[in-house]
Amino acid sequence: MATVNEIPVLPYGVGRITRGWLGAAALLVVLLVVGVFAYSRQFIHGEEVTGLFDVGTRGGAPWGLYVVFVVYFVGVSTGLMLIGIIAELLKIGHMRSITRIAEGLAIISLILGALSVIVDLGQPLRGIIGFFQYARPMSPFFGTFTLVVSGALFASVIYLFLTLRPDAAILAKRKSGLATFYKWWASGYKDTPAERARRERSSIWLAFGILPLRILAYSTLGFVFGLQVGRPGWQSALQAPGFIILAVVSGAALLILVAAAARRIPGARDDLSIPTFSWLSNVMTILLMVYLYFLLAELLTSGYTSTQVGWRVTSSLLTGQFAVLNWISIGMLVLATGMGGWQMVRRNYSLSMMVAAGGLVTISAILQRYLIVVPSLTTGALLPYEEGSYTPTLIEYGVVLGLVALGTLMFLAFLKVVPILAIQKESD
Amino acid sequence: MPKYGMTIDLDRCTGCRACMVACKIENNTSQTAFWMYVFRLEEGTFPDAKVSFLPRPCQHCDNAACVKVCPVGARYKRDDGIVATDWDRCIGCRYCEVACPYGVNYFNYKDPKKGQYMDWKDPDIQVATAGVVPGWSNPDLDNKFGSENRSIAGSNHIKGVMEKCTFCVQRVEKDMSPACVDTCPTHAIQFGDLDDPNSAPSIAAREKSGFKLLEDRNTQPRVTYLGSTFSPGAREIERPSVRE
Amino acid sequence: MMVLKVTRRDVLKVGAAAGALTAASSLFVGRMSTIRAVGAPKPDLQLTPVEEWVPTTCWIGKQDCGMLARKIDGRVVKFEGHPANPRNQGTLCPKGQGQIAALYDPNRVKTPLVRTNAKGVQGKFRSASWDEALGIVADRMNEVRKRDPRLLIWQKGRSKAKAFYDTAFVNASGATKLHHGAFCSDAGYRALEYTVGTHAVMNPDFKHTNYLISWGWNITNAGGNKTCWLTWNQQLGEAKKRGIKVTHIDPRQRPAGPHADEWVPIRPGTDLALALALCNLVIKSGTIDEPYLKEFTNSAYLVKEDGTYLRKGEGDEAKEQVWDQASIGPMDFGKYGNDPALTGEYTVDGEKVKPAYQMFKEHVAQYTAEWAADKCGVDVKQILQIAKDLADNANIGATHIVDGVEIPYRPVAIMTYHISQTELGFQQVRAQTMLMMLMGAMGAVGGTMSDFTWKIHKNFEGLDNISITDEPNIYLKNSKFYPINSNNSSVVAQVMTDPDPKANYGVDYTPEVCIIHMANPMTSFLSQKDIYDGYMKFKFVAVIDPWMSHTADLFADVVLPAATLEKYEGPISATDQYIGAQTLRVPPMDPLFESRGDIQIYLDLCEKAGILTGEGGYLDEINKKLKIDDANKIPIDRKPSGERELFDRWAKSEGYEKGVEFFETESVNITGPVSPTKRYGYVTEPPFGGAIHRLYGESLMGYQKQMKALGVEKIYYQDYTAFPTWRDLTMNSSPSEYDMNLISYHMIEFKQSRTSMISVLAELAPKQRADINPAKAKEMGFADGDEVIVESHNAVTGETRRITVPLHFTEALRPDTLAIPHHYGEIARHPNSTGQGDTPNALFFTGKGYTANTADQSFHVKVRLLKA
Ligand SMILES: Nc1nc2c(c(=O)[nH]1)N[C@H]1C(S)=C(S)[C@@H](COP(=O)(O)OP(=O)(O)OC[C@H]3O[C@@H](n4cnc5c(=O)[nH]c(N)nc54)[C@H](O)[C@@H]3O)O[C@H]1N2
Ligand SMILES: Nc1nc2c(c(=O)[nH]1)N[C@H]1C(S)=C(S)[C@@H](COP(=O)(O)OP(=O)(O)OC[C@H]3O[C@@H](n4cnc5c(=O)[nH]c(N)nc54)[C@H](O)[C@@H]3O)O[C@H]1N2
Ligand code: SF4
Ligand code: SF4
Ligand code: SF4
Ligand code: SF4
Ligand code: SF4
Ligand SMILES: [Mo]
Repeated sequence: MATVNEIPVLPYGVGRITRGWLGAAALLVVLLVVGVFAYSRQFIHGEEVTGLFDVGTRGGAPWGLYVVFVVYFVGVSTGLMLIGIIAELLKIGHMRSITRIAEGLAIISLILGALSVIVDLGQPLRGIIGFFQYARPMSPFFGTFTLVVSGALFASVIYLFLTLRPDAAILAKRKSGLATFYKWWASGYKDTPAERARRERSSIWLAFGILPLRILAYSTLGFVFGLQVGRPGWQSALQAPGFIILAVVSGAALLILVAAAARRIPGARDDLSIPTFSWLSNVMTILLMVYLYFLLAELLTSGYTSTQVGWRVTSSLLTGQFAVLNWISIGMLVLATGMGGWQMVRRNYSLSMMVAAGGLVTISAILQRYLIVVPSLTTGALLPYEEGSYTPTLIEYGVVLGLVALGTLMFLAFLKVVPILAIQKESD
Repeated sequence: MPKYGMTIDLDRCTGCRACMVACKIENNTSQTAFWMYVFRLEEGTFPDAKVSFLPRPCQHCDNAACVKVCPVGARYKRDDGIVATDWDRCIGCRYCEVACPYGVNYFNYKDPKKGQYMDWKDPDIQVATAGVVPGWSNPDLDNKFGSENRSIAGSNHIKGVMEKCTFCVQRVEKDMSPACVDTCPTHAIQFGDLDDPNSAPSIAAREKSGFKLLEDRNTQPRVTYLGSTFSPGAREIERPSVRE
Repeated sequence: MMVLKVTRRDVLKVGAAAGALTAASSLFVGRMSTIRAVGAPKPDLQLTPVEEWVPTTCWIGKQDCGMLARKIDGRVVKFEGHPANPRNQGTLCPKGQGQIAALYDPNRVKTPLVRTNAKGVQGKFRSASWDEALGIVADRMNEVRKRDPRLLIWQKGRSKAKAFYDTAFVNASGATKLHHGAFCSDAGYRALEYTVGTHAVMNPDFKHTNYLISWGWNITNAGGNKTCWLTWNQQLGEAKKRGIKVTHIDPRQRPAGPHADEWVPIRPGTDLALALALCNLVIKSGTIDEPYLKEFTNSAYLVKEDGTYLRKGEGDEAKEQVWDQASIGPMDFGKYGNDPALTGEYTVDGEKVKPAYQMFKEHVAQYTAEWAADKCGVDVKQILQIAKDLADNANIGATHIVDGVEIPYRPVAIMTYHISQTELGFQQVRAQTMLMMLMGAMGAVGGTMSDFTWKIHKNFEGLDNISITDEPNIYLKNSKFYPINSNNSSVVAQVMTDPDPKANYGVDYTPEVCIIHMANPMTSFLSQKDIYDGYMKFKFVAVIDPWMSHTADLFADVVLPAATLEKYEGPISATDQYIGAQTLRVPPMDPLFESRGDIQIYLDLCEKAGILTGEGGYLDEINKKLKIDDANKIPIDRKPSGERELFDRWAKSEGYEKGVEFFETESVNITGPVSPTKRYGYVTEPPFGGAIHRLYGESLMGYQKQMKALGVEKIYYQDYTAFPTWRDLTMNSSPSEYDMNLISYHMIEFKQSRTSMISVLAELAPKQRADINPAKAKEMGFADGDEVIVESHNAVTGETRRITVPLHFTEALRPDTLAIPHHYGEIARHPNSTGQGDTPNALFFTGKGYTANTADQSFHVKVRLLKA
């Protein structure tokens, strides 16, 4: 650990490998290896090693945990991007400090989302090439893969690149092992007022561009489900908006968790202050209410109007094989809403309570995705197939764990090259 | 260009499942994969119980949900109406399967040769099988078909790809009927060119009124069911083995 | 596009014409020579596979459907139905399709095996050479033959190529033949043989029938009379198109499913009651074919008060008397111009006599619809409806012209087969036959058929003239217990294991050597425990089977591996009841492993045993049985080159110029439509083969008298009555907690016990189950899929037996009935049959109360369910 009076060349621990960091990284590498091993089993033997199986006579779910995490990761990424961009556009001062975390996380979870897609494929190598070689815009998957994965990732990286240039310019001037890197990043940017204005403008334009793109892209992921005539329980106009809402909610939740953790980074604590968190908490709470309303609306419509089969899916959630998960998940959401609402009303925010709510929401958001993906597959058959079942295997958990480890590792690495909070403080 | 289609006369079907077995052997599908599946159904209570049968191949829909969603065009509709799966291009996303309202898709969760019922490594059996798996392995399935020249026939190729009923393209291109059609003891299934008024399905469809399965989904199937209607409230009895 | 389907139909249209076959095979075979499709890789890199089509026949089922084996580079890749075979018209059932997996099953018995451990437990075997194995069997055979030929048993199941097995081997070896008939439908055979003279049970003249009673016929799953399944279903399909009405009488609806217009869920074992009530109703409605009854049946015979016929003359000259209404007095039956009375009561020489029909009428008057409804547990309205449907459709007096021949037209029919195997089976089928006789429907156009052609079996006379012996053979033939005898292996087992067979049965020997061919008694026959005990008594057992049957596993000293369909076998009839045709099983490839064709095995075995050549030897017996002409006679002084030579000689003798090659290339010989004068009993020469149909069974009553005199228990003689007579079922005296009737049935996926290990079939129906009505099960606290103990109870001995089986809910089943399919429990340690579950034959009983009066096995018992 650096001593307090030693002023580091680079802020926020950038460039400095501490023992704690190393320990965490080592642990993550182990988990990653577990994930890679799990995936290697799957790669060699096929998805036989997962709990996935065909709908219909085989009574399974061909999509499971991987798709759940595709939806979750991409959702978080979308949510974070939206939060970051909105904060940027609305020039919410105290949010400025957190946009960098949001942007970094957004990119990482997008990468994880893309990887989740790949691990879900039966022919992953073909998949990587095939998506580009044979991409068909008519498929809602086109939205997911082509727009989300390539388009959004590209745009987000550019966006981050641009927003980081002023800091890079500053850091490039300091003596450190990373100086050349920052010089390259700054790429001639000198932080003159003119330049600053130009950068400001272009990133705003970019933000404006990314916003609808991300909304659209994530909506298509909703349409991946919502457009399916063959799957009662999915086919709903609320599917896409619901996806977006839940995306922002889960983004906010994750951001609360990560930002709270980031307060431990030397020098970051002051900037990551309660108002930042309370803003996030409020966004999360309000959108949670909207989401809960959507859930209720969904339930009522499917309960009232649905066909026999549609009702089968609904009742599997209310009383059937998914009831326990569903009620736990809804309970967690309600609790988180309550916690957020209570703080909002009292205008008195407690960090630990916000973190707790963020945790509840994060878990529940994953469960919500599970409850969207799986029940309709196992219980939503339109022909009289018997009810199916799906239980993820250790391999699937292992792979997901590996992905999460990879993401965390990437974030840790991110911390070591990019100042977690903007250095170049703008005049508010 | 013929317009292939099928009729299935529910008044004639006895639910014998010969079509299921014929399909398996012809197309070398692996264990628990039933490209053709025959529901045995029951509704009502004693003594007003009613037993019925419903054979279910791929419906080769004209507005196929599966084709629309395939991200790479591995699932496509041929000019003659056959909805094909190019196992050489399929990336194994299982989107077609999720999209299809009929549950007709079967994914190779493992190397299909590993689900071929018997120990084909037995040296004594290899004398007769020459090492192929399964012993009745149909070499036609490795060919390419249609003017697109694509790999779309049969099963038992590679893991991680999607499969389903092909209307027995390897037979149809040789002017033979699909295996299920040929074997059906009661001639309940007819296959042929729907544009030809003298084809077997055209004749069958003229004789009786029919319906399409899950018509409200607007998938526009190429399979027409004749005679009795199918009641969605029916309960399945006598399920085959579904998991190995 | 020309689809083969159409081709197949065209072929059938010209099917009768010569040359059709060549057309069919060239269409089928010729077309497919190119298997490389558009755009296949460069031809120079790829050797064109050699494609062949070899005709053969299905080897699983009993109707031997024609098949074409598609071979690529010498390997069979698929069986297709043979388009020219009238029986299956290019189609195959699931077993026909699935048998390719049996062919390639690496778990077949590969080499001859010799047992190395004790019997009665899971077997241990060592491989042996054919020479050694055959040597052992031949020695043991000859050793007992020398002492007493009765010590040699030849046990068969549903066999093929009877000339080679049942006749030639049995005659040459002098073995006592035991078979499967008493477990199949022999009670029905006996009933028809005795009543109308034909050797079969009952089926409709499908082309013309308008009303069909599917009476315990498992329409969508099993065979019914004579054929396997497929032919009947095709014909039913066509008949339905014509608008036939079908009433299905069965505790289960599942067999008929959507193919029945009415379902009568009868209580198991009570069909006799229903048949008698229907006779009563039909008589009451006047739906009676008097001319037929008068001319072709014994309805007009005058019966004395002692139950015998009024006869004139002595001994062989004695003539049965009828009451001639013209001359108002008795007269010889059948005398030209007489018009005998069917009803009334007359006095002749001071003796009161009545026509048999009058007696029948009085006899059935007690069996009212209400009475039967109560016995059978069905709605009386349904019974009245059947009677009405019969009356509406019988068309008494009408005729129909078939191929220029005018024949009585009675388009009402019954299909019944395996349910003749009940406690009252013989009399039940007699009553069903009599129901049809009343309307003149037996052998009429649209009426009830039995065999494919109307032939009189020697048992018509034989069963009427049995001389009961006190010292019967091991299966109690012509005994005081079963004067009419269907040769039941379970009864044999009971005799063999009896502490004193001499005193109790009059049998003073115990067979020692048993050769089992195409049978799996331990699984297929009931009751399993008796069969087990019986087999433990044999000193030496040889089993000829492609698989390690359960029987072989427990008892075989030597197992001889038979080929499956890779062998010559036949000759095989291919008629569909309208078109005559003949075929042969031709091997599509050489026998796999070290297996041999069954006929080859007999050639080898007979050679070893020294009974192959010479007069009365195996070859001589084949010549005789197959009526091989002099020019082609199998030389009886040398071993033939193989099965093929035998069939070549037979084929040439039958007029096939190319000999066996005809079948190897063309497969089916269609001899043309079956002439109506062969088919319909009314127009054979003489009508009905000269048989006078027996409404009244004088000899049955006579047997009862003798049985009583010889001192057998009532349980044996009680059903020897001149008319079928209802009595309460023995099993009903089981305690009331045994509140369910157990029945069993066949499934379309399987053929008896020989297919449950075939992978692609086992996959379709992987596990044994007990069907139960959900309401009934819930009442007892059971859910769908629950494992339960089924316990059966023997009402005579009090013995109970148990198996554990999962429940399968179905609403299409009487609540008081539990139904367990046959088929499971077969091949020992086969990966596919391991864990499938038990055969219901572990629950059924045999012997007193559980066999019919003809020694036929009943497939009914009272059971209760217990928590597993
Ligand atoms: N509970 C119950 N029991 C029943 C019935 C029922 O409905 N319920 N049905 C009964 C009826 S109708 C019948 S006919 C009997 C039949 O009883 P079985 O005739 O004994 O039965 P299968 O299964 O036909 O044949 C038995 C054996 O023949 C062998 N086998 C098959 N093919 C060949 C071959 O080509 N050569 C040789 N050498 N062996 C071969 C099989 O491997 C098997 O071990 O079962 C009766 N058993
Ligand atoms: N797929 C297939 N086909 C076969 C066979 C096979 O094993 N599998 N076996 C062949 C052979 S050897 C034979 S003998 C035939 C048999 O052909 P079927 O006689 O049609 O065969 P089962 O299945 O024994 O049919 C018996 C029916 O009687 C019903 N039943 C039971 N008890 C009673 C009763 O007391 N009264 C009435 N009315 N019905 C009752 C049962 O529910 C069942 O539906 O099938 C032949 N065809
Ligand atoms: S083969 Fe024909 S009769 Fe049998 S289940 Fe299939 S469609 Fe129905
Ligand atoms: S049935 Fe399903 S798989 Fe077949 S064409 Fe229609 S949508 Fe596609
Ligand atoms: S699984 Fe294959 S065929 Fe199906 S949608 Fe995906 S790529 Fe297309
Ligand atoms: S058409 Fe061919 S692939 Fe399709 S179900 Fe029939 S046999 Fe199978
Ligand atoms: S009906 Fe019988 S003989 Fe014909 S294919 Fe089926 S099992 Fe074989
Ligand atoms: Mo039988």
